Formats: sequence, C-alpha cells, structure tokens
Amino acid sequence: MGSLSDIRVLEFASPYGAYAGKMFADLGADVIHIEPPEGDPTRSVWPFYKDKPDREGSLKYLYHNTSKRGLVLDITRPEGQEVFLRLVKTADIVIEAFNPGFMESLGLGYESLKKVNPRIVYVSITPFGREGPYADFPASNLTVSALSGWLYLAGTGNNKPALAYGEQAFMMAFLYAASGAMAAFYDAEATGEGQLVEISMQEAVVTACENACQYWDLEKIERRATEEIEAGRNVYECKDGFVSAMFSMGDNRYLWDPFWQWMNDEGRPDLAEIFGSDDFRGRAYRATDEAKKVFREKAEPFIKQFDKIYIYIETQKRRTVCYPVNDPKDVYENEQLNYRNYFKKLYHERLGGEVVYPGEVHYLEKIEWGLKPAPTFGQHTVEILKELGYADEQVNTLKEGGVVIG
Amino acid sequence: MAKPILDGIVVCDFSWVGAGPITTQNLAMMGATVIHIETHKRPEILRVTPPFKDRKPGVERSGYFSPRNANKLGLSLDLAKPEAIAVVKRLLTMSDIVINNFSFGVMDKWGLSYEDCKKIKPDIIYIEMPPQGRTGPHKDFMAFGSLINALVGATFLTGHPDQKPAGTGTNYTDHVPVPGHLTFAIMAALRHRRKTGEGQFIELAQSQAGVNMVSAIPVMDYAVNGRIQQRMGNRHLELAPHNLYNCKGERNWIAIAVYNDQEWESLKKVMGSPEWADDPKFATNEGRKANEDELDAKIEEWTSAKWHRQLMDELVREGVRAGVVHSCRDVTEDYNLVERGFWTYLMHPEAGLALYNHSPMRMSKVPVLSTTPANMIGQHNQQVLHDLLKYTDEEIKEMEEKGVLN
Repeated sequence: MGSLSDIRVLEFASPYGAYAGKMFADLGADVIHIEPPEGDPTRSVWPFYKDKPDREGSLKYLYHNTSKRGLVLDITRPEGQEVFLRLVKTADIVIEAFNPGFMESLGLGYESLKKVNPRIVYVSITPFGREGPYADFPASNLTVSALSGWLYLAGTGNNKPALAYGEQAFMMAFLYAASGAMAAFYDAEATGEGQLVEISMQEAVVTACENACQYWDLEKIERRATEEIEAGRNVYECKDGFVSAMFSMGDNRYLWDPFWQWMNDEGRPDLAEIFGSDDFRGRAYRATDEAKKVFREKAEPFIKQFDKIYIYIETQKRRTVCYPVNDPKDVYENEQLNYRNYFKKLYHERLGGEVVYPGEVHYLEKIEWGLKPAPTFGQHTVEILKELGYADEQVNTLKEGGVVIG
Repeated sequence: MAKPILDGIVVCDFSWVGAGPITTQNLAMMGATVIHIETHKRPEILRVTPPFKDRKPGVERSGYFSPRNANKLGLSLDLAKPEAIAVVKRLLTMSDIVINNFSFGVMDKWGLSYEDCKKIKPDIIYIEMPPQGRTGPHKDFMAFGSLINALVGATFLTGHPDQKPAGTGTNYTDHVPVPGHLTFAIMAALRHRRKTGEGQFIELAQSQAGVNMVSAIPVMDYAVNGRIQQRMGNRHLELAPHNLYNCKGERNWIAIAVYNDQEWESLKKVMGSPEWADDPKFATNEGRKANEDELDAKIEEWTSAKWHRQLMDELVREGVRAGVVHSCRDVTEDYNLVERGFWTYLMHPEAGLALYNHSPMRMSKVPVLSTTPANMIGQHNQQVLHDLLKYTDEEIKEMEEKGVLN
C-alpha cells in the first residue's frame, strides 16, 4: 500500500478548525499541527468528551486533528521563527488561516519562505481573500455564509433563512485548501517550484449556491430554497419524525408514478386515483397552490401514518425517493454506514476512554487510510525539535524561554 | 511560462448532474483535457432544468448545467452502439482518469468496468461515486443531493427550532462536500501514479462525505455523551448575540456575531449605547447567552429601523462581525467578489453571454478559472475524434451515418 508519508505539512492552529490538515494526515502525511503557547482555540470549543471541559477533550479539536503531530511554538518570537524556518526547509506545504498580512509582519510570508525552500506550497485561508474591499472585515461563519448568498437560499418566501449546521463556510474553505494544496504540491514536485494557494471562504461558499446566481443572471429571479416548489417535494411529518421527499421533479414522471402506485399498494386506491390523475402527473399543476393544498390535506396524512425507515425502504423498492430526516442518533445507528464499518473508535489515554469518529470519505485502492488520536498539547514538540537537530540544551533553553512547550 | 498543473492529463468523463461534473470542472480548470461524453438521445436532467437564457428552455440554454461544465470538450456518443464503445476504448488508451456516477452495473454492461478499463490502460485512475457506497444493503438506493442531506443529519440540524427541519435549501453535498473530497483524492492518486506507475480505483460514498462535513461532531457527541443536538436557527452553541436581524425593507437581514465582551462593547457603541444594553445581565457572554431571547429582540428593535448595508459598514468599522444576507443577485454584484475578479462572462454559441466564476482555489503560477463556456452536446466531436483519437474523416462520417454520434 502507498501512503502520503513522504509529504510533510505544517499547519497552524486556527479558530476555524483544521480539516485540511486532517485530510492529508489520515492518508499518512506527516502533518505538524502548530499551536501557539496559549493553545489551539479549538481546544476550548464545546462539546467535550463526557461533557467535561478539558484541554484534551473538545470533540471538534479531536475530530479536526486526527493523525497529526503536535508542536507548541511561539512564532511571534525570533527564536520561534528560527525553529519554524528550519521546519519549512523540511516541509512541502504550509497551511495558515491568519489575518491577511500577519505572516508577512513576522517575516514568514510566502515570499520569505520560498527563499528558504523554493518548493514550498503556501496555502492561505482567509474569510474574504488576502486582498479586496472586505479583506480586513471581522468575520465569522455566519457573516461569511450571509455575504456569499448561500444563507439566503436556506428559507422560503420572506422567511428568515437558517444557518447550515457545522460551520460550513469554514469546512468548504478547508476542502478547497486541501485540494489546492495537493494540486500545487503535485506541480511543485515536478517543477521544483512551489506557489501560493489562496482560499477565500466567501468564494468557496459561493460555489455552493447551486444555480442561484445563474437564476439571477438569466431569468432575473432571486431564488430561495427548493422546498415545495412542487407538491410532493418537501420535508413532511411522519409517524416518528420527518421525511424528505422528492416524488416530483419537473415533468419527469419516473419519480411520481411509483408514489401514487405505492398508495394503491397500501390499500388507498382513492388517493392513488387523485395523485395518479393527469393533472398531478405534470409539473404545471403540482406547482400550483391548489395542488400543494390537496397534497397537504390528502397525501400528508397518508405519509404521517408510517415510520421514516418504512417509508424510505418502501419508496426505494418502487424506485422513487423519500429519505429519512435523520438526527445524529439515527446517523450513528444507520444500517448502511454500520455495514460499511464507517464509524471508528479510538482509545484516548488522556481521556481514559474511547471516542467515536466518522471514517473515510474516499476509499483509495493504493493509498492507505487510517486514524490516530489527535496530539495532546505539546505532545511531539521535543521529538520534532530533535529531528531538526536541536540538542538537549537548546531544547531546554527554548522551553525555559517559553518559545516552545512540550 | 508555467504550464497548468494538469496539462496533458486526459479525463474520460461520463459523470452527470451534480457532484461528478463539479469535480471534473475542478480538473478542467487546472488544465486537464476533460472529454465530456453525452448523448443527444437523453440529455442529462440539468440541461432541461431552469434557469434558461431568456427563460427559453433548450438543452444548451440551462444555467443550472453551464457553471459546472466550463472548460470541457463535448463528445456525443450513443453508448448503446458497439461502435461507440469502440471509440471509448480508443479514448481510454490515452486517458488518465475515468469517472462516472451511473447506477450500478451500467459501466459493466458496456464492458467499461474498472477491470475492463485496466486491461486497456493499466495505470488508469477509475472513479465511482455511489450515493451510499458500493457495498452494503443500501448500495443500490437512488438519491439526490438534498436527500443525502436528510440522510446524514444536515436537514435535521438546520432550520429554526420552532419549525420543521429545513436543510440548506439546496443539494448541498453535490456542490462542495463530494467534489472537494474527490478532487483531493484524485490529486493524491495522480501523485501516487507518478511515483509508482500504478493507477487505482477510487470509491467515494457521497453520504460519508456529508457526515464528515456536516454532522461529524453531533454524531460524536451522541456517541460519547448521549446527546441529540437540535437545530437552532442562526444561533451559536456558545455565543450570543449570534443571529440574523430584520432591517428596513423586505428580505433585508443583517448577520451579527459577537465572539467576546470587547466585540459586545463595540456593538453597544454602534447601537448608541442604549440603557438596556448596560444591564449587567448582558455584560458577559454567559449572561447574554442566558438572556438570548430578550437580547435578540432588543437588537432587532434597533436594526429594524436601519438599512442593512449601511449598518454593516458601521458595524465592521467598529470591529463587529457583521454581514448583510446577500441574495444571489447581490452576490453577482458584490464589491469584494467583483473587485477580486471572481465573476466572468463567457460567450456561449447558443446561450450568448453567461455568468461563470473563478475557482476558489487561486493559484499564483497559473490561474484556475473558467475560460471556455459549457460544452454543447457533441460540440467537439471533430476535435476529439480527429485531432485526439486520429480517426479519419471517412471514419467519422461513417459514425455519423450510423448514428454512433447521436
């Protein structure tokens, strides 16, 4: 099996998380997660293992930092900068999410690093880009999601939208950062020359806007959520929660016909007759308020008598689609994910117990994937300094001066 | 002059609709030659789905299809004909990557399974991206992005607490979670191939990309703490205020997120230091969180009388994380995006000028952006068949006559 073990990534802790480094690390790359002496801000993010606030127990920290090594280093101090530059000589990729200009102010910007290592790939993640009118705006996941047009889509009519769970603006930026880093590394290895990869969260999130910007461009419509653009396409209440149905999709009948035929199979020919009518089989009628009203009055009570898994399976049997709206417990217990052994357990010595993790997204036939626990605070500091050739006394001096912790 | 990163890489692209085409567009923007294989007999669903140029339907007029298919070459083949399969097989001899998101068995039926392709091109990188993976009881289940959202918890966790689960209002997993992970995996596989000479099989389960991106931490929280997290509108697990607030006019909202007491003081200042805000119960984040309903109501009373854009200017100037909720119209006109050159218009032979975007992966050596508009079905037959695959004019004519290129 292959591995990315010959790739070294230096990644700075940031309040946005650290998913890009995780993607490399879980495929075996040597990812060094660099924390400031005050610690990775993610370490104090709720929820914690067993609900006990602990520097080693934040689930977000643990999840984002699997399979990495940890170094605590103060890069604002000259001695710390020297350590970092020594590391850069040995590294392939640097990933940082500081404010624009911060690394330059320390003399550690891309232009400086490439003098030390011309092959270095430097990835900068910022909310709105390194340059531009918003470059210095204070930002959060909420405000970036708002300014990218994506948030607007999560609602209908004049209703207030609702923010997607899980800091997706940050997560999207990390995904692009990881892909961009890998691509630039692939190039650097061939050409001997690295480059600057710049990720703006705002731009990353705009790419999640589906067809909405084109709706404005071509039809001058400011679209919102696709929920209930037709009867039969919405989230509906069922016996034990909710289901998400896509019985209707334009003038295609292949999803709709099995739906009313299912009603017949459940002993409701009266409903099958209504929804199997020529009117209901076309998009034009289903998009009317009247059709939606009929659906609400007749079809929703039908759906409501069944459990979400029953609906899911019965509709799939008939080659139409109505999925369970799973809560986190349902996801954890999902039959398919468990069949595939997707969830992994890792024992954490410091916590004295096991933590459950989502597993791999992509199976690569020739590159091994695996999870190791995230580093504890300063866990690999000494090990890394020694690899860089620092003698014991030098390590101690750095420790005593508070330049490193470990 | 530097070459594009994927210069010389040929992608045999059978993918359609969502996540596949966005992935191959990432590759095409980085310079890969992506041969987009389609048939006139059954244009993919996005080609016949709005928005349309001038609201006039047409398979070459969809703005749902276009922004995810820039920079590709269109080859039309009727794969039901053996001569068409022969063309694919010749294309395979010079391909580096094959990607499809057909239902199970389709590629096998055509003699284009991974094993088949490997015989033709031993170092091929072969990608499948089934909704829930290629093994397990639900491996054949049909899905669309918005249903994967429901399956993985994104829908349940997104929405207002007093309303039904809502989700993102889009087919979210299609747009970034799946293509993001897949682009990374493909780059890793290309690098592995260059190092070892080996191609490989890549399987990406779309549902697993969704869990990793959106619901990872709530699932971990359930597994270790037994808690089932709930949707919370635009609020934050730990911070307050953190919400959207009505402003003057319709659908005009401002996002405000306060991360610490200093930012709270800044917000107070912009609000004109009202008396209520000095109540000690709002002095700490803990207090603000505990009195969030009242706090949000008070802030909204203030924002409701303001213009959202003006308010954003005032707030960010004082260091408050704030952003207006842009519609997608606003996004196409957004200062920051426009000034950074994110948007571009490309002239399409049938649809005319249409909106395209820069990749969020901004590379310093060679820009990663849309340069040619979405391919028409079979638009580049001559270029692909004659120039690349070296078929003679007579052979191509014969294919046309036999309907191979339908």
